[in-house]
Amino acid sequence: MSRPQKALERGLSSCLCCHKLVVLPAGGGRARCPRCGARVHGRIDGSLMLTWALTITGALLLLPANILPIMTVIYLGSGEPSTIISGVMQLYHAGLWGIALIVFVASIAVPVMKLVGLVLLLVQVQVRPPRFPLQAMKLYRVVSGIGRWSLLDLFMISILVALVDMGAIASVTAGPGSTAFATVVVVTMLAARSFDPRLVWDACDARESGRRGRESNNPKDRGAAGNV
Amino acid sequence: MGLGQRREAATHWQRACHECDLLLTGPLAPRGRKLVCPRCEAILHRNPRRSLHYTAALSLTGLLLFIPAASLPLLSFSIFAFGADNTLFNGVQSLFAEGYYWMSTLVLFCSVVAPLGKFLLLCFICWGSASALLDRPVATAVRWYQHLKEWGMLDVYMLGILVALVKMSDLGKMEMGPGLYCFAAMMLVANLTTLSFDPESVWARMAARRRTGGEGVA
Repeated sequence: MSRPQKALERGLSSCLCCHKLVVLPAGGGRARCPRCGARVHGRIDGSLMLTWALTITGALLLLPANILPIMTVIYLGSGEPSTIISGVMQLYHAGLWGIALIVFVASIAVPVMKLVGLVLLLVQVQVRPPRFPLQAMKLYRVVSGIGRWSLLDLFMISILVALVDMGAIASVTAGPGSTAFATVVVVTMLAARSFDPRLVWDACDARESGRRGRESNNPKDRGAAGNV
Repeated sequence: MGLGQRREAATHWQRACHECDLLLTGPLAPRGRKLVCPRCEAILHRNPRRSLHYTAALSLTGLLLFIPAASLPLLSFSIFAFGADNTLFNGVQSLFAEGYYWMSTLVLFCSVVAPLGKFLLLCFICWGSASALLDRPVATAVRWYQHLKEWGMLDVYMLGILVALVKMSDLGKMEMGPGLYCFAAMMLVANLTTLSFDPESVWARMAARRRTGGEGVA
């Protein structure tokens, strides 16, 4: 089987916005897509560094998001601040386990899974190339697809704050944890966007060609000579 | 590798997978089908039938539905004799009034600005791509649309409404307002619009016009 042809080796790159194949300038700089005008790079600039930074930021912010109260429900003069977890527990104890499950998945499982997934992807690119790159790609697609659902809790808070506002009888106020949680969601969404999945395949190809080079002492870039 | 050689390569290869950088010779999916990368299984191109017509109709519908969805109450809640309504904007307003500026901006952006922006951009793209004068603005609009795409979260907001509805129903009387039906319809239309819009058909339309237009001038 011939080696798959990579665009970057031929000085080409796909515009990430309109998917046009763009000729990169010979010096290795960036180009502009002639069709949609977006900036085109061979790989996203500083993708790994940016993704690490945003992932770590997200992980750190997850602490205040879970420790600080996200909202306070006051009913007939009494009520205490609730955090994300205690909100889920309240729903569960009230017998609404379906809603409790939805809220648990959206606001606890998804952010944590997303951060773990991003770290796994980064480690696979930088330390240990994945043996099954297709699985890494599935992980990438899940990570970049599910992030938006974590905003569920924030939307719910914004609805309740407006809806339940009757002074001492019943009122809902937001808490400082919600700001941290909003930031976690935005930061992890940006992290997933800044990760360039093509790097996963680069890592795999590098390992493959390294192994092939060791086995048969062939020059590393024999495949780039033009066999299709 | 020289630039000329690269240009030559660009005419032979038509497309590179945006997720694994594999070069492909076939750029587009056949009508009504989708093109999947043979190596990483990413969906490279979806070719829905009559993409521009459907998108134009759907985005206009979405814009019209936005008016009642934003102005009529979505939910109303009452305890004893006290009651309150919730519209798309007053949740943002009360968060802002409480001092949660960042959060209210985010909620406003994801539930109002981004979906509305998507509808407006798509309307502009579909109608504007018919005239040669608007080629550059339409290309910019497509780019903006791609950036805005994942931030429109009407479906998440809908789920938020449902959770709020169930969560507060034991506290007082919770009722669905007329705006909620419009909102649900708008969410459905927004998702259908995302499915039916295919940027390649915009580019194809521009390229076709440029070809015929060039011949007409010459």
